[in-house]
Amino acid sequence: MEKILAKNKLDDWVAALSDWQVSAPIMEDDIWSYKASKGKVQLEHSNTVQPPKGFSFPQREVFFSFEQIKGQPPRLTPIQPKAARHAVFGVRPCDGAGAVRMDTVFNDQFQDNYYQARRSNVAYVGLACNKPQGINCFCQSVGGSPVSSQGMDVLMTDLGDRYYVAAVTETGKALMTAGGKVFGEPSADDKKKLKQTHADALAQPQRAINNVDAVPAKLKASFDSPLWEELARACIGCGACTFLCPTCHCFDINDENTSSSPLRGNRVRTWDNCQFPDFTMHTSGHNPRENQGARLRQRVNHKFQYFHENFGMSQCTGCGRCITECSVGVDIVNVVNKVTEHVG
Amino acid sequence: MSDNIYLPELARITHIKEEIGGERSIKTYRVEPVEGAAFEHECGQCAMLSLFGRGEMMISIASSPLIKEYKQFSIMRVGRVSAAFHELEVGEVVGIRGPYGNSFPLDDWRGKNLVFIGGGVGLAPIWPLITTALAQRADFNNITVFYGARSASDLMYKAELDHMRSNADIQLSVDKAEPGWKEFCGFVPANVLDKKPSPDNTIAITCGPPIMIKFVIQNLQKLGFADEQIYTTIENKMKCGLGKCGRCNVGKDYVCTKGPVYSWAQLKELPEEY
Repeated sequence: MEKILAKNKLDDWVAALSDWQVSAPIMEDDIWSYKASKGKVQLEHSNTVQPPKGFSFPQREVFFSFEQIKGQPPRLTPIQPKAARHAVFGVRPCDGAGAVRMDTVFNDQFQDNYYQARRSNVAYVGLACNKPQGINCFCQSVGGSPVSSQGMDVLMTDLGDRYYVAAVTETGKALMTAGGKVFGEPSADDKKKLKQTHADALAQPQRAINNVDAVPAKLKASFDSPLWEELARACIGCGACTFLCPTCHCFDINDENTSSSPLRGNRVRTWDNCQFPDFTMHTSGHNPRENQGARLRQRVNHKFQYFHENFGMSQCTGCGRCITECSVGVDIVNVVNKVTEHVG
Repeated sequence: MSDNIYLPELARITHIKEEIGGERSIKTYRVEPVEGAAFEHECGQCAMLSLFGRGEMMISIASSPLIKEYKQFSIMRVGRVSAAFHELEVGEVVGIRGPYGNSFPLDDWRGKNLVFIGGGVGLAPIWPLITTALAQRADFNNITVFYGARSASDLMYKAELDHMRSNADIQLSVDKAEPGWKEFCGFVPANVLDKKPSPDNTIAITCGPPIMIKFVIQNLQKLGFADEQIYTTIENKMKCGLGKCGRCNVGKDYVCTKGPVYSWAQLKELPEEY
């Protein structure tokens, strides 16, 4: 299903999605964030500072609550996520690609019921990037594209006064069908313009990872490189890079007690971070990744080597957030290029 | 396993045995499901134990898969959850989910000699293998168990080991000589080198502190064992057990799903990140 939507009809489409919650990028506190749309959607944003991963993988998820009266067995009450159908507008292709990576992790071998309950109700209405959204974009270096529909349910392309709107999945078709007459049929000229817009988008300059196909093998050969410690020297271990990454999925599980007698509390999943020293520290005090260099290596190798070895794709989608938002200038493109440049 | 991969089953502690006292004491627990049958497991697999209000910890299942009615765990008092476990009494109810990880390919080893080499609490993860092999004694050739600890009072499963002497060659050691000790004095790897088990048609399985494993492997290689004949089981910090929380990986492998059991031929291909 491919349609044309006049820009001034966008809000009419959103209004027609009465069965859906709608979120879209909104400028607040000087940054773009996904927020409830309140009926108005404007797609003039550069990329959001936070990726949309939190819609399926919230920063804090209660698995179950527990209660135990002394001398009696504990009682567990699973908490099912309350997930309404949710359409997220304005998702950039790097984040659509990110959703595919997250789905891969949470469905591999054991299906994560909490992730799945949310994810199956989230639809991504993507927006192609006619121009890079920032100076650190490099999606084309990692197998992506600024006009990719990967991970999307709908892909929109800005054609000036109108959007070219293409359904990618059945859910996407349903979203467009709900819009009914707000859409028009694309003309031959619209199709020509779409093709030209996408070709122009692909020709935009981006940052580049050198010889990207050789990177997994070169990283494997560079495990003991002294460059890891050198390149991590400025790192303060804040973890912003992973919290803002569209594909970082690591988490912690802890019990949060609300009462001690009777014992009451919740078992809670929270985002965690491979840049923190205690992420891997054994109870004995032994730490297999004992310095920041080893932790930088883990972040880079996970994205560019291990994920590739396990799932046949780069885990990095080239959004550039970890570079742009790093307070000390740790730059993943630079790190990969430097570590791999002298490997034969 | 339930559809909710994070929800533990409730299990009652039916038996507690104090193995070792002192600051880092070890206790062995038997747990049985409060309702229904326990999950099946294989030698080398682990389970996530829960103490509600304290958290979870991943522990090797230390009982043979042949035992269906209970699962056994030997737990050293070290961290938040294990210390709280040590305060529990028989009859109390905990949580359990699993089994997790791969297992030792015991079926491939029938007809072979087995050499087990354990140190400290590292005897527990290979204990299901030892007890299963001895329960099927006729299927295996010579069975030797090397086991050592800092001192005689730090040896766990002492009575069970003594009981096995009629069926297996039991070689115990303590790190330093002490009054009344008649067996080997010195580290476990040295005892292995001293007794010289033959690599001919033999599989060696080792678990213990990382430094012990390292020297055991070196000494086995000196004795002519090939990398494919040496097996070990490793551990890393874990939260989920399901290959998702992202912290237990050694290179590309999450230990909780691809491990914990590796032959040295497999493990030496991975970075030393454990």
